[in-house]
Amino acid sequence: MVQHIYQLVRKEVQLEWRQKTALGTIFIYVLGTTFLVYLIFQGNITIPTWIALFWIIALFTTVNAASKSFIKDANEQFYYLRSMASPVEIILSKIIYNALLITVLALVIYGVMVLFFNENIADKKLFLLTIVLGSIGFSNLFTLLSAITARTQNFALLAILGFPIILPLLLLIVKMSGLSDFAIQEKDIYLHLGAIALLDVITLLLAVVLFPFIWQD
Amino acid sequence: MKKHWWKLLSILLLLYTLVMGFLGPIPGLNILEQSIRNLYFHVPMWFSMMFLMLMSMIYSIRYLHRQKVEDDVKAHSYAIVGFVFGLLGIITGSIWARVTWGAWWVFQEVKLNGAAAALLVYAAYFILRGSFEDEEKRARYGAVYSIFAFVMYMVLINVIPRITNSSLHPGNGGNPGFNSYDLDSDLRMVFYPAVIGWVLLSVWMTTLLVRIKQVFRKKHQLDLE
Repeated sequence: MVQHIYQLVRKEVQLEWRQKTALGTIFIYVLGTTFLVYLIFQGNITIPTWIALFWIIALFTTVNAASKSFIKDANEQFYYLRSMASPVEIILSKIIYNALLITVLALVIYGVMVLFFNENIADKKLFLLTIVLGSIGFSNLFTLLSAITARTQNFALLAILGFPIILPLLLLIVKMSGLSDFAIQEKDIYLHLGAIALLDVITLLLAVVLFPFIWQD
Repeated sequence: MKKHWWKLLSILLLLYTLVMGFLGPIPGLNILEQSIRNLYFHVPMWFSMMFLMLMSMIYSIRYLHRQKVEDDVKAHSYAIVGFVFGLLGIITGSIWARVTWGAWWVFQEVKLNGAAAALLVYAAYFILRGSFEDEEKRARYGAVYSIFAFVMYMVLINVIPRITNSSLHPGNGGNPGFNSYDLDSDLRMVFYPAVIGWVLLSVWMTTLLVRIKQVFRKKHQLDLE
């Protein structure tokens, strides 16, 4: 099982690396959006706005990156993959790959934001941990949802399914980002980190349990 | 009559709620004043919605388990009526908020925003269902999303408000709950019957909707088996 998942993640990375245009698209998207936001806000924002913008850009980038998770597998590849691996292995490999991709993209956004706005979070380690935990949660949710929406022709569907469902996680992440800049009580930090980790586990379990029902026909 | 006693019970309880709700004794508190009677209408809407969404999730699980169209029809119907009750909950809540908190919508209130997001979650569920031509796919994908939606809905309205702890609702964020005002339990005498009455009514409405859909399916011969 672990071997299969490793192979599948490798396949995803290789495929992505081979089509550099797709990868380029998403990176230019990140750069373009952040630059646009920088110009709109005229380069001058406070930390709470900084955090809000960071997560909004991260969310939209995630939707863009995750929306093509299953497009490639919609046709001939689907039958091949089905005969090679179990649904659980497929979803886990996709989630791992997307989590990696989203984390890297979030780090790029972080770098660009720091570069442009010249503002930074006080506790960088804690903020990086938040980014990683948040990316895992984003990946769990949007990977499953993109599997649902891959079969429809409705491209806005992923966003309207995802935005309200991501809200609990997003609220906690934004709060946590604020705490990693300035926290009055240490126990607040652990409470929020714990809640985010718990949500990650819940969404992962749901994705793994529900995916086999989508991965048919 | 044996099968339908709960419908009669619902009517009786709601009649009692209407009469006692508008005429019964109230604690007469500052600011709240007469608006406290909204307790019998606003709060049961959310109880009903939660119950109906729970039923919708149970039927969704059952659909994934045995793939019968009737389960999907029920899951969908429970979600529709639950959505209506959610809208009513928002409207009654908004009116109450205007009277007591001074605004139709209050940002600091996580429960409000959570409730609105919950409605969006289920609105997306209806859009998702509409995006599939094929009935079997619509049912299957809808069921998967519905289970996901319910879990997130519970997190949204039950867990997040407790963690963020910024709510103006009674019993949250350091505000006293209604039970601490209610020494002579006048409110409780009406509140509990009201909750049961409204939940029963919402289930009754759903059964009617299910029957309409079944008649429609039969008339157009949609069930091939």
